[in-house]
Amino acid sequence: MKKRKDVVYGIYNDEHDLLNAVRSAKDKGMEIMDVYSPFPVHGLDPILGLKESRLHIAGFFYGLVGTLTAFLGMTWIFTKDWPIIFGGKPYWAVPSFIPITFELTVLFAAIGMTISFYVVSGMGFGVDNFILDDRISDDKFCLAFDKDEVDASAAKDFLESTNVEEIHEKVVKA
Amino acid sequence: MNRFEFSGKLKTTLLIGIVIGIVSLILEYFVYSDDVHSLFWGDVLLNNAYFMGMALMALFVMAAFITAWTGWYTVFKRLLEAFNAYLIPGAVIMLILAIGNYFGWHHLYLWADSHFAEHDEVISGKSGFLNINMYLIATIVFVGLWLLWRYKLRSLSLREDAGVKGDYSYHRKMRNWAATFLPLAGYTSAIMIWLWLMSVEPHWYSTMYAWYTSSSWFAGSWSLMILVMIYLKGKGYFDKVTKEHIHDMGKYLFAFSIFWAYLFFDQYMLIWFGNVGEETAHFKLQQTEYPFLFFTILILNFIVPFLGLMINTAKKSFWILGSVAVLTFIGHWLDIYLQVKPYVAETTAEITGKHVHAFPFPNLVEFGVMIGFLSLFLFVTFKCLSKANLIPENDPYLEESLHHHV
Repeated sequence: MKKRKDVVYGIYNDEHDLLNAVRSAKDKGMEIMDVYSPFPVHGLDPILGLKESRLHIAGFFYGLVGTLTAFLGMTWIFTKDWPIIFGGKPYWAVPSFIPITFELTVLFAAIGMTISFYVVSGMGFGVDNFILDDRISDDKFCLAFDKDEVDASAAKDFLESTNVEEIHEKVVKA
Repeated sequence: MNRFEFSGKLKTTLLIGIVIGIVSLILEYFVYSDDVHSLFWGDVLLNNAYFMGMALMALFVMAAFITAWTGWYTVFKRLLEAFNAYLIPGAVIMLILAIGNYFGWHHLYLWADSHFAEHDEVISGKSGFLNINMYLIATIVFVGLWLLWRYKLRSLSLREDAGVKGDYSYHRKMRNWAATFLPLAGYTSAIMIWLWLMSVEPHWYSTMYAWYTSSSWFAGSWSLMILVMIYLKGKGYFDKVTKEHIHDMGKYLFAFSIFWAYLFFDQYMLIWFGNVGEETAHFKLQQTEYPFLFFTILILNFIVPFLGLMINTAKKSFWILGSVAVLTFIGHWLDIYLQVKPYVAETTAEITGKHVHAFPFPNLVEFGVMIGFLSLFLFVTFKCLSKANLIPENDPYLEESLHHHV
């Protein structure tokens, strides 16, 4: 397994320049390693050919687990384990379970989706990710090519042809 | 096609629908009638309140959008304008109800009966608000204010269309009218809901009721708007309205269905847990005499839109969104039905001294009246829609709306 990546990347000042560059790279059939931006750029996903995230489907099932945990848990506690009469209501008082069921649904969905997101995108404690350029988390946009996939000089020539601000080369841990 | 042509088959169909409604009303008045014609008057109140509420909420939504500088909806703004056209015939029918209440033509309200107003302690305690003068004056004044604001917003919009592109003076004026309408509609709609609907059961009250009913109106309005939009798009109109707009309309239906469920549950659980006799009477009647209806509206108004519209693609599909909209539209009508008819039947029994047989579910004649009112609503809407260009060319937000993309 290769441990290092040889990267050529261009830094852009504006998201429109980035979008145009990505579009023409796709037209030329160049393999894009990745695109970095400080915020979600509108219209970038379809150009890159990214599929719709399935995170919300996972979220639905996390929520369902929360619903069942809360509802069945309370049902078991208040009818079997430790029945207590509250306010003259029956043991299995469904309407009074609803608020807690709702809360646990939201809690499970939120925590589950957060953890899934971190795992899927390879972030979190103890994970050492490479950072091509510190400014891409601030105000710059970046289009990166892997030299293994694209010829280095061709990538540079291509970046030169777009409205690029800077071109760099870097070796990073894969 | 920038101008809607209202003619031919659609017009005939709607006229047939209106005739069905009139025939049903006549049947209710003369055939299936009791001493005070409670079926007839109850259906007029129920349907007019539902459809007028939807028209009011369309106006409210438009005012809220203008105030919030909303851009995405401009391309179908005329549909919202047309939707509140029903305020005019609705106001006339409400006025007939209010005058009828004043002169005792009908006995929908127990508090309007002088015997109960004097001898029933709960009702006489509320008679400062619940009296025939208040009912008449509030109906005239508040509905009159709604009509004034509707007229202003509509005529400014039409004048803007006739003006030159880039002239924002009309829009600035519209913004003032829209912003003032929000608090006005908020307070007056609550008062009218208390008077028109909540007071059919004068011994009972709930502070959530006005919110609850207006959320029903909201969701009903969006579902009918989605259906009309799907119909018009099928006919080739509104070609600039994309899937993105339909998607956002679906989001509104989804959101307001959840909002409805939230208010339903708030009202229900607090009364259930508080267990105070004068409050629980409302739900006891619904659950013991109308259990099928009670759970049907929960399924139609919450479970169906919640699970049906949850996925992105469902809100973009005409078939799924349209079917859900049909179900929620009927669901919210059944909801208002359940808030009105059982209590009208009770009032009738109190006044005539005879037990009134109430169906556990609306019968065919009652559905016929609903179809009549729906046809009238759509007739007025399409008539209004055909009077102006479908796309407001000079609206400052039109360009943003055409490029709406999420």
